[in-house]
Amino acid sequence: MSIPLSPTGPSMKDYSCDTQCTWCDGCGDYGIWTALKRSLVESGLQPWQVLLCYDVGCHGNMSDKLQGYRFHGLHGRVLPFAAGAALANPNVPVIAVGGDGASFSEGVGHLVHAIRSNYPMVFILHNNANYGLTLGQASALTWQGQPMNTSPNGIPEHTLPSMDFVFSLEPTFVARGFSGNIAQLTKIFQAAMKHRGFAFVDVLQACPTYNKFATHDYLLERCYDANAEGHDPTDFKKARVLATDTGKRISTGIQDCGCVVLHEGFRLNRRFLWFIAILTISHI
Amino acid sequence: MNRISLKVVGAQGQGINSVGEICAKGLKRGGYCVFGYREYMSLIKGGHSSYQLDISPTEIRTTEEKIDILICFNHHGLEKNAHEVKDGGLILHETADWKFSPAEQKSIEKRKVTVLYLPTDEILAKLKAKPILGNVLITSVVWALLGQEKANLQDLVREQFGHKGEKVLAENFACIDAGFEYRAKQSAIKHLTLPKADKNWSKHLLITGSEAMGLGLIHAGCRFYAGYPMTPSSPLLTFIADLQNETGMVVKQAEDEITAAQMVSGAMMMGTRAITATSGGGFDLMSETLSLNGILENPTVFVLAQRPGPATGLPTWTAQGDLLLAVNTAHGEFTRCVLSVSDSQDCFDLMPTAFNLAEEYQISVIVLTEKQIAEALYTQTPFDQKKAKLSRGKLITDPKALKKLKPADRYDLSAKDGISPRWLPGSEAATFAAQGDEHDPSGTVDETGPNTKAQFDKRLRKMNALKKTLPEPTLHQVESGKWKVESNDEKLDLLLVGWGSTKGPVLDVLETLIAQDPRLKAAYLHFTYLWPLKTELFSKLHAKVKKTVLIEGNAQGQLGMLLAQECGVMIKEKILKYDGRPFFYNELLETIRNKIRETR
Repeated sequence: MSIPLSPTGPSMKDYSCDTQCTWCDGCGDYGIWTALKRSLVESGLQPWQVLLCYDVGCHGNMSDKLQGYRFHGLHGRVLPFAAGAALANPNVPVIAVGGDGASFSEGVGHLVHAIRSNYPMVFILHNNANYGLTLGQASALTWQGQPMNTSPNGIPEHTLPSMDFVFSLEPTFVARGFSGNIAQLTKIFQAAMKHRGFAFVDVLQACPTYNKFATHDYLLERCYDANAEGHDPTDFKKARVLATDTGKRISTGIQDCGCVVLHEGFRLNRRFLWFIAILTISHI
Repeated sequence: MNRISLKVVGAQGQGINSVGEICAKGLKRGGYCVFGYREYMSLIKGGHSSYQLDISPTEIRTTEEKIDILICFNHHGLEKNAHEVKDGGLILHETADWKFSPAEQKSIEKRKVTVLYLPTDEILAKLKAKPILGNVLITSVVWALLGQEKANLQDLVREQFGHKGEKVLAENFACIDAGFEYRAKQSAIKHLTLPKADKNWSKHLLITGSEAMGLGLIHAGCRFYAGYPMTPSSPLLTFIADLQNETGMVVKQAEDEITAAQMVSGAMMMGTRAITATSGGGFDLMSETLSLNGILENPTVFVLAQRPGPATGLPTWTAQGDLLLAVNTAHGEFTRCVLSVSDSQDCFDLMPTAFNLAEEYQISVIVLTEKQIAEALYTQTPFDQKKAKLSRGKLITDPKALKKLKPADRYDLSAKDGISPRWLPGSEAATFAAQGDEHDPSGTVDETGPNTKAQFDKRLRKMNALKKTLPEPTLHQVESGKWKVESNDEKLDLLLVGWGSTKGPVLDVLETLIAQDPRLKAAYLHFTYLWPLKTELFSKLHAKVKKTVLIEGNAQGQLGMLLAQECGVMIKEKILKYDGRPFFYNELLETIRNKIRETR
C-alpha cells in the first residue's frame, strides 16, 4: 500500500523495512507489528516524527522491521529510557514496547513507577506469557503448574495477576487487545497515542512454539470487545473487574481513560512540559 | 605556613554546621582564605561529628590535624578531641562541672591549653531565649575571642535570620551582646591572634564542591537531572533540586540508579543535556547502561562521587577507590572517558568539558569526585561564566544537511576518528535504529563477522582520537614564589604523582617545603584525565627524576596500576591512605619531608 491516507501523511510503505522477519510462523508479533504500523500511518505521523523504543525479547526484533527513530535497549529497561526521551522532547511521541518476561520480572519496578509517574508515553506489552527468545522459560505470567523449559514439572509460583496489579497503581489509561484482532488493536494504539499520560496497552498474543496453554485459538474463542458491549471507559471500578475476570471470557478494548486520575496526570505532564530540548549555554 | 584552625564538634543535629558556616562566611569576608572540612556519621541525629575551618591570609586547600580552637557542644568533644588542641590553644565548651581525667588534665596544663566553660543554659535563661539561640551565643563568643568586629557578626545574622522578622532578629542580637559580654569578663584570656588579613578574599565565593559542580552543569546547558539519593552525591541532587524553580531544569528522583542512568540516556538521545550522579554502589547498577551507551554511541555524563567501599563501607567518609571501577566497569569493549575533579574550580570547569567530550566523541564520560571534594568548603574565585565553549561534535541540525542523510550515515564506518554523524529523533531526516545489538551502519541487526569487526574498530578508533586530543597531566611547580603549571626540562629531585582531591594537600605541602628550602626541586604531576591515560609527560619526567612518589587515597595505588599498564613504569614509592580520611596537611608534610630526606 503506497497510497497515503492523506495528501501529506505517510503511507504504509514509508514504515517498511527491507529486513526479513524472523518470528515463528503464527507468532502474534506479526499482528502487533501490522497494527502498530497501521496506527502510525492512520495517525498521520511520519517515521521521523516518532521514537519507538524496544525492550529485549522476540518483540525487540521489530526494531529493524519498522521505520521510525528507534531505540533497542537492555532487557527490562525500556521504560526509563523511553520516559527520559519523552520528558526531554515532548513534541516527539514515544512508544515503548516490551514483553511480559521483562516487564513483570527484571523491569517490574520501572513499570510500577512509570504508571505512578504517569509519563507522557505509550507502553505496549507483548504478552505471550513466557520468555520466547530465550527458548520458552516461564515468565511471571505463565500459568502456574505449566511445564516450561527449565521447569519440566511446571512452575510452582503463583501466576502474577498482571491486570489487577496494574489497576492497583491507579493508571490513567489501560487497554487490552489481542494480536489476532488487528483492526481493534490499531484503534487501541491510536487512542493510546492520543492519551497525554502513561498509556498501558496489554496485547495478548500467541507464542505457537512455546505457549501451549493460551494459544491463538484459545484467545480467539474468548476475547470479546467490552466497549462494543457498552463498557464505559471512564468507569474505573468496572474496568478493573472486567480486566481481571478472565475465567470464561477475556475482555478487550479501552477499559479506562480515567476521569479523576487523568486530572492528576495532566498536572504532572504540564510540569514536565517546561522541559525544552533546545540547548543553550545558560548562565546564572 | 601562616594558618590557624578552628573545629566545632558535637552531635549531629545540634547545629555545628550552622556555627561552622557562619564563622566561615564571616572570616572569608574579614579577608581570609577558608577551607572547611566536615566529618560525620551515617545517621541523622546523635553520633559525633565535626566542622573544621582552616584559615589563612594566603591560599590554603587543606585541613590540619591539630587545631587552635576547639568548640565542644557536648562532653564527647572534650573526651575525644581535647588531645587535638595545639600548645597554647583554646577549648570552649558548654558542659557544666566537667572534669578531665587526671592524665588529660596534666596534658592540657603541660600544653598550656585554655579551657573555657560557657554557661549557655544560664545565659539563655536570663535572656528568656530559646535553646536554638545557643548557636548564636557560642558563635558570638568565638567571634569575640578572635578579636573580630561585633557589627560583622550582626550583619551575618541579619542576612540569615532577617526574613524572620524584627523580633527574632532582636533575640539574636541580644545573644550576640551576651556573647561579647561574656568574653569581656574573661579578661585573663588574650585574643587569639589571627594572621594579617588580605581583603582580596572577601570578594571570593564560599562554596562546596557539590555546589560548584551544580553551577558547572547548569553552565554546561544541562537541563535534566535524574538521580537516586546516595551520599556523597546527594548534596548535588539537593542543590540542583533547590534551584529548579530558577533554572527550569527538570529534576527527577528516580526509583533506582538503573532508572536514573536510563532516563538520562534517553534524554541525551533526544539532544537534551542530562546528567546523573551517584556513588560506587549506584554506579555498579549503572554499569549495564554504560555498556549500552557504548554500542549506541549515545553521549552521556555520569558523576561518580566516591566513598570507601566495598558495599556500604563508610558512607559518609572519603576515598579515591573507584578509579579502576570507572575505567573498567561494564561488559564489552568500547570507548569511554574518565576524568576527575580536584577542587571547586574543577567542579565548575569540567562540567562543560565533560558534556562537550561526550557529544564530540559520542561516548560516556565519567566524572569522578570524592566525598572530600563534594562536601569541602572552598574559598573560590568567582567563576568565569564566559570561558566555556559549547561543542556538540558531529550533531546535525541544519534542515538541508538533515535532508541529505541516509540511515546508514548514523554508524558510518568511513571516518578516520570513528565518529559518525549524529542527528536527533524528531529531525526531518532518514531514520535509524539506536541498536543495542551489533548492527550495520543504519542500526539494522547484523551479526556477520566482518561487520562486527568493522563496528568494533569504529568504536575503538574513537579512543585513539580522544587520547590524542586530551591534555597531558598538569605539572605544578613553584617558581620564584609562584605556582607555574608548565613543564620544564629541569631535573627534579622529587616528583609527586596524584589525582583528585590529593592536589590540594600536595600543593599546600609543597608550598611550605619550598618556602622553607627554596633549593628544593620538587613538583607535582596532577592527572585530571584518567582514561584514556596520557603517559608521555609522566614517562619523560620519571626518567630524569631522582624519586617519584605516588600519592593516592586508595589501598592499591590504582593510578600507579594504570600507569604501569599503559607505559610499563612501576612507581615503587607510594603514599596511600584508605582510612576514610583525606590527606591532612601536617600529616602529609611529615611524610613527604621524610621522602625528601631519603633522596639526599
